[in-house]
Parts: sequence; C-alpha cells; structure tokens
Amino acid sequence: MEYTRKVIGNSIGLNFVKTDKFKSNLISFSFIRPLTNEEASLNALVPSILKRGTMSYMTSKDIQKRLEELYGANLNLDVNKKGEKHIIKFSIEGPEAEFIGEENYTDRLFDLLLDIIYNPLLVDGTFVEEYLIQEKENLIKRIEGRINDKKQYAFERAIEEMYKGEKFGVYKFGDIESVKKIDKESLYKHYKTILETSPIEITIVGKSLELDIEKILGDKIDLKRENIIQIPRENIFSKKQSGKSVIFEKMDVTQGKLILGYRINIPYEDRLFDAFIVASEILGGGPNSKLFLSVREKESLAYYVYSQVLKYTSTMFILSGIEIENYEKTKEIIKDQVEDMIKGNFTDEDISDAKNSIITSIKTLQDNNYTVAEYYLSNVISGENRSFDDYVNSIQNVTKEDIVKSCQVLKLDTIYFLTNEDKR
Amino acid sequence: MKINSIKNKRLNEEVLNIELNNGLKIFYMLKRNYVKKYAIYSTNYGSIDNVFIPIGEEREITVPEGIAHFLEHKLFEEPAISIFDEFAKLGSYVNAFTSNNQTAYLFSCIDKFEENLELLVKFVQDPYFTDENVEKEKGIIEQEIKMYNDSPNWKVYSNCLTGMYLNHPVKIDIAGTIDSIKKINKELLYKCYNTFYNPSNMVIFIIGDIDFEKAVTIIEENQKHIEKAEHEISRIRIKEPSIVNKNLIEENLSVSIPLFNIGFKDLDIGYDGEKLVSKEICTNILLEMLYGNSSDFYEQLYEEGLINDSFGFQYLGYRDYGYAIIAGESNNPKEVHKRILQKVEDILKKGISEEDFIRAKKKLMGYFIMDLNSIDNVATSFIAYLYKNYIMFNYLDTLEGINMHDLEKRCKEFLKEDNYCLSIINPK
Repeated sequence: MEYTRKVIGNSIGLNFVKTDKFKSNLISFSFIRPLTNEEASLNALVPSILKRGTMSYMTSKDIQKRLEELYGANLNLDVNKKGEKHIIKFSIEGPEAEFIGEENYTDRLFDLLLDIIYNPLLVDGTFVEEYLIQEKENLIKRIEGRINDKKQYAFERAIEEMYKGEKFGVYKFGDIESVKKIDKESLYKHYKTILETSPIEITIVGKSLELDIEKILGDKIDLKRENIIQIPRENIFSKKQSGKSVIFEKMDVTQGKLILGYRINIPYEDRLFDAFIVASEILGGGPNSKLFLSVREKESLAYYVYSQVLKYTSTMFILSGIEIENYEKTKEIIKDQVEDMIKGNFTDEDISDAKNSIITSIKTLQDNNYTVAEYYLSNVISGENRSFDDYVNSIQNVTKEDIVKSCQVLKLDTIYFLTNEDKR
Repeated sequence: MKINSIKNKRLNEEVLNIELNNGLKIFYMLKRNYVKKYAIYSTNYGSIDNVFIPIGEEREITVPEGIAHFLEHKLFEEPAISIFDEFAKLGSYVNAFTSNNQTAYLFSCIDKFEENLELLVKFVQDPYFTDENVEKEKGIIEQEIKMYNDSPNWKVYSNCLTGMYLNHPVKIDIAGTIDSIKKINKELLYKCYNTFYNPSNMVIFIIGDIDFEKAVTIIEENQKHIEKAEHEISRIRIKEPSIVNKNLIEENLSVSIPLFNIGFKDLDIGYDGEKLVSKEICTNILLEMLYGNSSDFYEQLYEEGLINDSFGFQYLGYRDYGYAIIAGESNNPKEVHKRILQKVEDILKKGISEEDFIRAKKKLMGYFIMDLNSIDNVATSFIAYLYKNYIMFNYLDTLEGINMHDLEKRCKEFLKEDNYCLSIINPK
C-alpha cells in the first residue's frame, strides 16, 4: 500500500492510496465546513438535494439506473462531525475493472461522482422547489427519528448536554427549526459557498489510478479558488467552572442507558494523548478491561459497557446499558474504576494487553478501503501526517508513568441517564 | 495430508480444504497483503435446533428458547484461565455469535496466528459449566434481551417472523426471553453441547496469509481425543403449515414514525444446494426490479412521501424456510403494503423488462465482488453457504444462469396476496 498526497489549486488535497488488495476502487470527496448552528442543517441538506438529479441524469431514478449499470456502484452522500468540523462527504465505490471486464470503468465512476457534485439539476438557476420540500421533510423525519435507536440517541444526547453552548454540541443534521427556514435560494447560495470556500480532500483507494484527476477536475471547475475558510482548532478545555452536571431524560425504555462524559484535558497534539488512549483501553477497551470485568463479569449489571475517546475534543465517554434501579451502583463502580486508573492501580500486563489491542486495531484499519480513506482524511484534518507505523510506534513507547500522568487531569463533566423514571 | 482445492479463476481466488478423520472440515483462503488473519470455528447449530434427541438418549426433548445463544456465552468460561485475557495477551480480538442456523467463535489477529488458533480450538472444545457460572450469566443475558427489546428495528422484524410462522422455531428470538433463559441449567447446556459440538457437525474457516499445513497440524493435535459421532444428529423437523400465523401485527413503542416490515413467507422449500441459492438470487433480483432504488415504485412512493431512504428489502432462503422482508418507515404502512401488491399485479400483466433484468443482475454481480474485500465477511458467508450445501465461489455462475422465465415464475408463485405478514411499530 502506497500513499501519496498532492495539493492542487487552492486547498484541494489529492490523496492516492495505491493497492491491489481490494476488489474495488473507492473515490471520495470531502468538503470541510465549520460545525455551527447556522450551517449544520444547510450542510446536511446539500447532499440530499444533489442526489435528486444532475443536468445529465435528471432524476434520482436516472442516477440509480446509472449506478446499477456500473455494476452496483455504491454511492454514499452524508455529513459527519469531526470535532468542530462538519464534513460533507460524497463517495463512490465500484468493482475493480478486471473482474467485470469493462474498460475505462473507473473513469465512468469518477464522471458520475463529479456530475452529482458539480453539475446539479437546476431550474431557473436554482434547485427544484418540489424536491427541496421533500428533502426537507425527510431530513426533519431523520432528526425526529433519532429516538428510534436508543443507544445511539443516548450517546448523541450526552454529547449535546456536555457541549451545550459549544460548537461540538451541534447535532450533525442541525435542528428542525433551521431546516424549516431553508428555501431554495438560501440552499443554492450555501451550495455555491461550499464549493468555493471549503477545503476539499479527495481520496482514492484502489488499483486503477491512471485517472488524471487534476486535469479532469481542472476542466470542470476553477481550481484556483479564493477566500478559502479557516476553521480554528477546537478549544478542549471546559468552560464550565465546577464541571459536573447530571441529566436524567425520561423515555419509555426497558433498559436504562448510562453515559459518563469526561474531559481529558490533554490535546491530541500532546505526546501524552497517546498515553491516555492506552489508559482508556485498559479501563474500558475490550472484554478484559476493568469496566467489563467489574460491571459485567463480576456484578452482571450490564451486557455492554465500554469507554470511547473522541480525539478532536479530547473527551472520553463511558457507555453502558443497565437496569434502571442499578443506576447508583453502576455509576459508583465506574467511578471507582476510573479512580483506580488515576491512582495507577493497573499492572504491566494490563498495559501490554492494551497496547497490543490498540496496535491490532490500528494495523487492521489497512484492511478496509473505507477505513484507509478515513485514516488519511483524519491525518490531514489533524495536521499530524503520521503513517500507520508512526502511530503504532508512538503507542508502543507509552510508559506506565505516562499513563498515570495522562489520567491526572481527567475530569468528570457530565452524567447522562436515559431512564423511564422521573428524576429521583 | 490430502488437501483439496477449490479454484475460481474469474475471481482469482482459491480455497484449500481438508476433512479430518473425525469429520471436521477445515477451509483456508489465502488473502495476500492483508494485515489481518482470521479464523472462525462454527457449529451447524443455532436457535432453530431446539427440538432434538440428545446424543446417547432415545427420546426427543424441547429445550428452552435461547439456549444455543446461552451456550455461546458460557463456552468462554474456563476453570483456570480467562479466555478474554488469553486472547488479549496475544493482542487479538475474540468474539462469537449465534444465528438461527449456526453458532460461531472467531478471532482476528495480526501476529502469532498459531497460538491464537490453538486457543480457539481448545476453548470451544472444552465446556465448563457450573451452577454458579450459569446463574451469573442470566443477569448479563437479561440485559442483552432488554437491549433488543428497546430496539424498534429489531422488534418490528422479530414480530414479523412471529406473524409469518406458526410452529417453526425461526419465529423465536435467538436470545430467548427473560422467562425462558431462567429455565436453563448446566445439565441442559451439556446435552446441547454434546449433541451439536461434535467435529462432524463443525467447520473451521481460516483466512489471511497463513501456513495452512501448520494450522491443520495444530487443529489435528488438539482434536486427537475427539471421536467422530457414531450417529447423525436427530433434529426433529417441525411441521409448518402453508399459511401464515397473522397478516397484521402492531405494537406501540417510542418511535417518531411508524416502522414496518412486510414479510412474505416462502412455501417453495425443502431443498438446498445450487437450486436453493439460485432461488435466493432470483428472488433478490426480482425484488430489485420491483422495488429497488431505480424502480418506478420507489420513485413514486418516495415522491409521495410514503417511503424514505430507510426503505429496503432482502430475501433469505434456507432448506426448511425462507422469507422476504421489505422494510422501512412510513406514516402509512398499510398503503405501502397495498402498493407493493399492486406492483406485483402490474408486472405480471406487463411482463418483465429485459433492460431492468440485466441491470439488476449487474448490480448483484458488483455487490458480490465488492463483498470479497472483507475477510470477515468472506469467512462468515462461506460457512453460511456451506451449510446450505453450496460453494460460495459459484455465486456468479449461478447468478448468470438465471433467466427471465425463472423470474416471472417466481414472481407469480412467491409474492402472493395471502402469504404475508405486515408488522408495524407505531409511535406511542
């Protein structure tokens, strides 16, 4: 696997990952936006409206037919949060040409993706009203539909509560009120802004790399864009004074979802951040972690309990699904286990197990074309530019001292509980 | 060592395989350049095998719902060591799953494959159930069941199966119920284990860049003491009537918009192999053409706001049962159902378009090829097909063998007005 990167025009990164291990080619475009209340819903609606038609493929149906002709090419359009950045991503994946016996197949994949992004269906110079009404309705339904998946809902709500008033607290689809206010003019204007002012990352993973992206793209758009936006680095330190707030949310659930949010208070640029990654793995990484053993294996309180680190905001969440009445008990056990980490109550074996597990995860990212693409995108966004091996080495070099040190500034910020009872 | 090879030139893939004297089948697929090495040890035993004659006994028994899954949890228990710790020491990821038809234990690693493999084989072959450790697991599984009960997407599906089937155990939840798991004890677990975890009922699939002969030697070494079962396993096949249990099941949960599953119960069953898989692919092509993203049906209902992006479908076929599920979110699931049936009538009147047929075939072909990227997926799919008596590599050939006539016939016989169940989860 061979990675190269080149910047073309103004703030357009071209990332090539050349490999013949996959049986497909993946091409993706990421437009990087600031995550804000004002933009979130607009950003979310842009891909929805773009998939409704292009000037060459006038309807969704025509686009879908084209994808099928291209041997079931996967088209994915979505928005996601990376810290305080909102990523609008367009990707297309199709089988490697040699298995379907068609020439110039990858060119056609690329053409279709470009068409969807840069050549949308316009009537009188703007988006189609009728389609916009439908897509607004669908987006509202998606926002309302958040409650359907209780585990994910609880997690997103915990983030919202913990980051209330901060940019990271903005939901990736924005909010219903903002969606309602959008009209075709404001959306089209925003779409143009996205194309003209966003940093763009293009990533290609596969074997057929003979595409001359620079030329094809240069023929379509002006690569020398001006006024590219600068998105500031997240401020990871809590604005709250004493930290802790406790949120109980009532819903008709049979299982309570308990989430504890911690501020790590070490930025990822700091060497100690990787030590904390190891700490979190020891605490709640896998089935031999402290949380799994104490909450699940010893006390049978939960089926799932684990910790998760969010890099850009330096946050750790501990998530579990428990019997409502076991709230206090579980919370105390979790806090005790965190306390153990701060005190350094873990063994050298715990450390080496945790490191091995993290290293396995890092290395195996290379076995999936989507995670490879994501890894290099994150690299660009964080400005780290570290290879898989660099990352592995950095984890390998973490010491017990580092781990303990990395836990000293850890602060519990928010406790969120999705429950079927009124607040006790 | 007599190693056989299954080659597929078109896909540029090869699977080596060997059968041990005790009946265990071992498969290996080389995946060069992959970092990960992966092994899965599976038994052809799932939630539907709940009525059988235990090995060494004469009378059939019915075991509590959810016992295959319970057994999966408990196999990780060993008297002296923690299996999770052992794998963690090797930096590997270990897991297991139970489906309707199989229970499988797996690991993925980047290093020390042989040690991992030995560990896997040993723990799966070494049950250790005590009254105490069985009791302890009930609390954990109860939380797992509750997690599923809070998942409307799971409930709508599970209710749909209950609606389609009267007797067949595919209708019961894989994890069982909070009441049924209370009846599980160590004696019952041993009975299930001894009956279904015989090597002749099991398969190991390994994939990655691995020394196959060495792997086989390790497995053989650890299998020496296990004899081939003398008799075939007596699974009692439940008679399932040719009607559905209920046409409509509704439940209220906290959802924002009604969720629906429309299940069509397949009555054309009782065979496996090429014929089964051909039927499966044929049905999936049919569903693509009728309701896929590029269909008139999809376009119309989407524009009317009757369905959204979450709309989808799949047909699953096994020897003794099969069903198609069409799923989505809608403010009017009954209307969606009506339109689905109308579409069938339409197509039977107008006939099938060849252009649509070719496109749908291309789509399934591409999907199959791209799915080969994931070594986890290759391993689990290969085994699932093997239990259907089919070699997965033949998929593209089987797909190409399907013609328009097959499709029309299938459409007429399968998607009928009476063999369905509409399951709806309404908002509270």
